[in-house]
Amino acid sequence: MIQEKGKLVELKIQRFDPKKNKHYVSVYKVPISKGMTLLEAFIYIKDNYDETLTFRSSCRMGICGSCAVMVNGKPMLACYTQVLHLNTDSAKIEPLQNMPLIKDLVVDIQPFLDTYKRIDSILTRTQETLDKPSEFTQLPADLRKFWDLSLCIKCSICYSACPAAIDERFLGPSAYATNYRFICDSREQRNNQRMSPMIDNVWLCTSCDSCTKFCPKEVDSSTSIVEERGLIVETGDVPKTVKDVLESVFKYHNPMATNPNKRMDWANDLSIKTFPAVKEAEVLLFVGCAPALDVRSQSIARSLVSVLNSVGVDFATLGNEEWCSGDHIRRLGEQGLFEMLAEHNISMFDKFHFQKILTLCPHCFNTLRNDRPYRDKEFTVQHYTQLLAELAKSGSLKSSRPFNKRVTYHDPCFLGKRNEVYDDPRQVLRSIDGLDFVEMNRHHENSFCCGGGAGRTWTEEAPPKKRPSVERVNEALSLGIEVIASACPFCITTLEDAVKVLDAEGEIEIRDILEILCCTL
Amino acid sequence: MEKISHDIIIVGAGIAGLRAAIAAADFSSKIGIAVVSKVYPVRSHSVCAQGGTAAVLRDGDSYDLHSWDTVKGSDFLADQNVVEFFVKQCPEEIIALEHWGCPWSRTEDGKINQRRFGGHSFPRACFAADMTGFHEMHILDAKARTYGNITFYDEWFVTSIQTVDNLAVGLTAFQMKTGKMCAMRSKAIVMATGGHERIYEFTTFSHTATGDGMTMAYRAGAPLKDMEFVQFHPTGLVPPGVLITEGARGEGGHLVNSKGERFMEKYAPEKMELAPRDIIARAEMTEISEDRGLKGQYGPYIALDLRHLGEDKINERLPLIRDVAIKLGGVDPVEEPIPIRPAAHYSMGGISANIHSETSIAGLFAAGECSCMSLHGANRLGTNSTAECLVFGAVSGREAAKYALANSFPELSKERALTEEKRIFDGILASNGDERVASLRNEMRQIMNGKAWIFRDGHHLQTALKEIRALRKKFENIAVEDKDKQYNTGLIGALQLDFTLDLAEITVASALARTESRGAHYRFDYPKRDDKEWLKHTLAYYSKDGPRLEYTPVTITRWPPTERTY
Repeated sequence: MIQEKGKLVELKIQRFDPKKNKHYVSVYKVPISKGMTLLEAFIYIKDNYDETLTFRSSCRMGICGSCAVMVNGKPMLACYTQVLHLNTDSAKIEPLQNMPLIKDLVVDIQPFLDTYKRIDSILTRTQETLDKPSEFTQLPADLRKFWDLSLCIKCSICYSACPAAIDERFLGPSAYATNYRFICDSREQRNNQRMSPMIDNVWLCTSCDSCTKFCPKEVDSSTSIVEERGLIVETGDVPKTVKDVLESVFKYHNPMATNPNKRMDWANDLSIKTFPAVKEAEVLLFVGCAPALDVRSQSIARSLVSVLNSVGVDFATLGNEEWCSGDHIRRLGEQGLFEMLAEHNISMFDKFHFQKILTLCPHCFNTLRNDRPYRDKEFTVQHYTQLLAELAKSGSLKSSRPFNKRVTYHDPCFLGKRNEVYDDPRQVLRSIDGLDFVEMNRHHENSFCCGGGAGRTWTEEAPPKKRPSVERVNEALSLGIEVIASACPFCITTLEDAVKVLDAEGEIEIRDILEILCCTL
Repeated sequence: MEKISHDIIIVGAGIAGLRAAIAAADFSSKIGIAVVSKVYPVRSHSVCAQGGTAAVLRDGDSYDLHSWDTVKGSDFLADQNVVEFFVKQCPEEIIALEHWGCPWSRTEDGKINQRRFGGHSFPRACFAADMTGFHEMHILDAKARTYGNITFYDEWFVTSIQTVDNLAVGLTAFQMKTGKMCAMRSKAIVMATGGHERIYEFTTFSHTATGDGMTMAYRAGAPLKDMEFVQFHPTGLVPPGVLITEGARGEGGHLVNSKGERFMEKYAPEKMELAPRDIIARAEMTEISEDRGLKGQYGPYIALDLRHLGEDKINERLPLIRDVAIKLGGVDPVEEPIPIRPAAHYSMGGISANIHSETSIAGLFAAGECSCMSLHGANRLGTNSTAECLVFGAVSGREAAKYALANSFPELSKERALTEEKRIFDGILASNGDERVASLRNEMRQIMNGKAWIFRDGHHLQTALKEIRALRKKFENIAVEDKDKQYNTGLIGALQLDFTLDLAEITVASALARTESRGAHYRFDYPKRDDKEWLKHTLAYYSKDGPRLEYTPVTITRWPPTERTY
């Protein structure tokens, strides 16, 4: 139905010839008129330029799920995407990831569909109730509890984008969402049976939120998984690794099973202002458990202190009264414990006068900002990269030594995908003399999780090849990158582990932005 | 060549095909059932069904009333025994889906909600917001996968039905991923391959819904019935043609012309926007041809105004419509009317089948849109098609199961399959002519849009027939550029064009012969219904020189034809 020819848009389409086992790129210039979808552009190419271009399509109204592809690194339905809305003269089109390639843009989605074989995708009821030829009753409010989750079209976008799904033990985001859809259905009678398919694998999710973010039907798989973990936690049938973390946080208010009185040991020689001796400061530094207690991460905290001191920021910490913020705990499904932590931290915040909270860790940043009950307090919360970007912009950060390395930036999911802080960290890196900044293939919202979120950093039990961190480091290695910079202690730890697993310590190093900055000041 | 055997092979995995598989598996766990589909089942066109599924569930409604509405809607071409059987089966299909988990929209007291629909004199459309077919499909797909004796052949393309002495012995099909041809032997075959409205340019149809099964049955010797009756849905979104559900009008939406008039008061003063689809589609075309359409970049259109329903109701009852209108039409129905025009939507005709889903070929059954039980006659009412797929899907599954249990495997000779493999891979795949498949396909669709649309006449139909036959000649000279066997969508495009060219020819030939106007078939040169001559079904049989037409009477049980006004 394209009637008038509009502007020319270049589509660079990744091709695969299965017969010759050859990967190549075809470039087509397609006249795009207003309203023309990406699928219509594919059809235009096939009809007019190149009949061999291979892609799937069917309904062309976003309901059959056939035509998902990657557009400039982001998965979407071709039929539900208008080319002009991409705001570009040139787009890179690739097949979905994490599934075997068949030809051009067509992947074999069988591994994705197979995940559904492990759950029940229909109601499970007693035979007695099924024998009655009558409708069940369901109030509209009860229907609303699962309706949004019933809209999954099985396009496999979430499976393509999911870092945990590279391990086939993981069900796949949409299968968990479908399982949870039935758990929430008031007509369902055998909910207890719905736990067993998840019990040993649901912990692989990192809560990176890619599934929810890219879902064309806005199905919130990510939250479903957290809710399902909550139900499993209630039953008590959780793996030892998870249990240990939860117990440690309950007992010691940190996941490292460290005596809480040692929380400020990292700063013993730094004379930092600390509550309760100090009750007022412009910035309340929320250190976080990893920077405070994990030996590797302590250097990040110490680096921040030296940067803050060098520019004269007035800051203090809660000292030993700072408890785990609870981000990982909430996402492991222990809502009760999370609330206990939050209530304590909030009560301490109430006793302290500050203008903003500064966090080292994107996980603390996210939960203090977005999760109830913290959110209700409407604190001003800043991640340190935001502050550094402000300082860089105002010229307060002056590097005196160059950093002559090829550096990339790995987006922490809880900073990037969940809070859309993408540019500040990059700005800081770009402000450093000599630093050769390159992007990896997957960056910004298309970034690939390190695999450390939602408690997985402590519960990891995947063989090396199935670890997101290993895939991520390999991606950087393939680009000849010398340093992966990041801004999250968990990213740093998991990526560093991956470097060790890959025996690549001589080739690549993992550094927090603060650590790089500090050696240039 | 690999040979595969299953007691029953179901071709097509939309609502009818999946329902057939479930019914057959419920009938006996001892029979092996294959479901063969050229797409993954949940990609089937049935997911595009939006507005609802008809069933008599509540006091005040009755089977008689549903039957009467259907018969009147059909312009008295429905077989009334089929209608009476059908309406009684609908409720249990709704309940079955409820039991499996279909998220039906609810009344305030928690019962399955029902909305009004065109031509129905009671609100009997059960719905799941405006994604009814989608939800039915996903529940049916999940249910079908719980049976150990159902095997799925996803992304397998069926090329022919094989018969010996009018007995169906199996199919030929190839796996799209590998291009590997297989002979599939069976005792019973159920065709559930959907309609053929991809023969038109402006259509609500999915790209993949190309009516393959109709042509395969036709070539195997089964007649196609009433193929001239094509339903034009009054509200195809401009520009893409995708469906805007009749439920939008069921919820209270208005159709408005360029003068701001609710013009339906001229054409159906009582039912207004909820008159049957044939009447509204003609009214819209009349408004447009008399220059009362709105003007737009993509030609004249009619406005579907939902604004007075308010944002909350639109979000609750019509969320998909809102999203589709925004994403594909560039308008938010909360703020602006939706631009629409009639779009080819449904085939009342199909593989001739009786009330048991049996075709004229022993062992070959048909259900859903590809079939014609004469349930819809000359015009289908909205919500009767998903209901039909469920009811006759189940019937065909049970009947095929009975048949398979009572019969032994026939022989499917290797030579037959090899001949078919040659036709496909040495013939069509190897073709190196001058004609582009895409050009022929587009030409066919333009011819059908231009000359066999809502308003027809002998002259244009005659021309269309000549032009379609010329395309058939050109098809012999096509080129398929992609020569690989693996996932060759160019080859599939050629095969689908081959199937649709037959269907276009049959549709036009049947329309040309019927010199009356009835239901969706309107002839300028014969504007009146003619019960004396034409109260009969068309049967189109395959012959080398094009379809051979025969006729068969309409079954009338209780409702003799009367004048049809709304």
